[in-house]
Amino acid sequence: MHPPSLQIMDISMPSDGPAAASLDASDTTLTPSPRVRRVRFYLTNEFGLVLLIIIFGAAFTFAVPRFLSHFNLFILGRTAAENIVIGFAMMVVVVTGGLDLSVGAIGVCAAMGGGWLMQVAGLPWPLAVIGGLLLGAALGFVNGWAVVRSGLHSFIITLASMSIFFGVMIFITRAQAFRSIPLSFASFAHIRYFGFISPLLLLAVVIMLALVYLYRLTALGREMLAAGARASAAELSGVRVKRVIILCHMLAGLLAGVAGLMLVARNDAAIPSMAGQLGQDWLLPAFLGPVLGGTLLSGGFVSPLGTLLGSFLLTLLTNGLLLLQIGQFWVEAVLGLLLLVAVLLDQARRSFIARRRMI
Amino acid sequence: MQFLSRYGRTDWFGPLLVTILAAIIVGSLSPSFLSAFNIQVLLLAVAINALVAYSQMIIIAIGEMNLSVGAIGGLAAISFAGMMQVWHMPILPAALLGILIGLLGGIINGVIISLTGISAFVITLASLSIYKGINLGITEAQPFYGIPNLVKHLGNAPFLGPLPWLIIPTAIVGFGLWLMLTRLPIGRCILAVGGNRHAAELSGISIRLTVIVAHALSGAIAALAGILLCARLQIGQPTIGDDWLILSFAAPVIGGAVLTGGHVSVGATTLGVVIVAIITEALVLFNIDPFLVQVVLGVLILWAVGINRLREFRLKPLRRA
Repeated sequence: MHPPSLQIMDISMPSDGPAAASLDASDTTLTPSPRVRRVRFYLTNEFGLVLLIIIFGAAFTFAVPRFLSHFNLFILGRTAAENIVIGFAMMVVVVTGGLDLSVGAIGVCAAMGGGWLMQVAGLPWPLAVIGGLLLGAALGFVNGWAVVRSGLHSFIITLASMSIFFGVMIFITRAQAFRSIPLSFASFAHIRYFGFISPLLLLAVVIMLALVYLYRLTALGREMLAAGARASAAELSGVRVKRVIILCHMLAGLLAGVAGLMLVARNDAAIPSMAGQLGQDWLLPAFLGPVLGGTLLSGGFVSPLGTLLGSFLLTLLTNGLLLLQIGQFWVEAVLGLLLLVAVLLDQARRSFIARRRMI
Repeated sequence: MQFLSRYGRTDWFGPLLVTILAAIIVGSLSPSFLSAFNIQVLLLAVAINALVAYSQMIIIAIGEMNLSVGAIGGLAAISFAGMMQVWHMPILPAALLGILIGLLGGIINGVIISLTGISAFVITLASLSIYKGINLGITEAQPFYGIPNLVKHLGNAPFLGPLPWLIIPTAIVGFGLWLMLTRLPIGRCILAVGGNRHAAELSGISIRLTVIVAHALSGAIAALAGILLCARLQIGQPTIGDDWLILSFAAPVIGGAVLTGGHVSVGATTLGVVIVAIITEALVLFNIDPFLVQVVLGVLILWAVGINRLREFRLKPLRRA
């Protein structure tokens, strides 16, 4: 067979898969380095997102006063929490320059697993939640292992695994929902602190802080970034790239499980179709959050805060458009347009910064 | 032995062997598999799915991917049905306009990708939502029922023995693509761009134009698939195309397409579609859970990419020699 180092390069070298080949083109002006963060604050992506959130928030408040009601803010925060965690699940794989199309399928599998443990096995809900999350992490491990072992790009592996995971889940559950979810668990989605803050949103913020800690202060997090920036260089400096990539996929599975269980709490039921056909409905929010937040699709740079703000902006727009009664059917088109505008603006911002040498 | 190794290296030989084996196994276990009616049903499925696969194949050839194949197909299908029901358009202009919409959708994809240099994955993910959103916005998730009887007839009836009418456009497109990829300059340009973009540019090929042409073709073929499926289902369903994503990748990959681009085969892709159709059909004939079709498709993709990878390693020294 071929030498092992070659195999490593195959995994994340941009020339390996169509995704990487073309994803790589998105960032030729800036090499991902910590220096990127020292852009002047009003030129950072995060500042732009906060500005957009304030502008849209003000516009919606002006158009529909109901927008600022406690109930709507609560709903907004709760939905945002789910989208934020979905965005994180994709982000942790995008860090390595890969992607995970199966987040939706894993999320639903973990949710159905948790639901089964609560309803059929009769476990107390904390154990069932742990079981569901473990299932998510295990499915993530399968993805990561297959990617590393085959040396193929994660696009094609997770495309296949999303079909397999979802199909097996539907086959086992016979497409039946688990509807007797213990009240003590479901109440998490219905508690309101100060009338409008959902505990789920707090959980999302806690996860963000944990991810910031991981990427800034732990060796493992730095290794993940290094493996994403340039796998061959990371390998030469002693990073076990294969292991790191598997861990990233496991983390993605775990986070997808968290998002799935949040949905279970909100629906008071674990429903197989809650992420659409094969979990495809999660794909758009999963990519919108990180892309809006400035995470590089070619790997090597993340911004958990940006992802949080990006996912929040996406939820805000959805919520506002629904309140404006523009017609729920047009929401998806608007979100697609948002993704398009976001990547185009990002491109323009980058070339502007590069041209003015403002780094 | 030399004969075997020569054919073993072609893309179509493996899939053809699997197709014949699968047909023999399924046929011997269930005699109704080879009945004229069943073959007709099989061919109907192949006719539509082959177009879906071609649509993705042409993008795989340039080393990119198109997630919006299903969304373009769905948009074309509901426009086709809508124009006939609401505006009482004759069939042929409605179909042509539907294909034009797909062509336009593909051109938009191609232009944005080639002008900005942003990855095709992100752009087509965005356009997937936009086209699907427009579809839902127009239909409000309600199907169009007013399909003329002639279309319903053409969508299901055979013209000769078990051969359905729908197979004709598919055969023309398949032959056209084969001719283009093997004989025409633009086809060779597409493969060159997929094989090595840098080298292609240095030899004077316009990358932008080639990428736009490939996406335009992909859009038009996806639209044709949507229109045929609309005729087959006899209603303009807004959900048409929702489940094309996996299939569109499975068939070209089974047909030995290299995902980094530069190497696709029309014949082998068609055989990939036939294999998927036979397996799906077998699951139905043997009363196996239809939910398992998804699992089978996923396993097929993994199996095929595994085989392709092995072939790559086996063939490299042979080519160099």
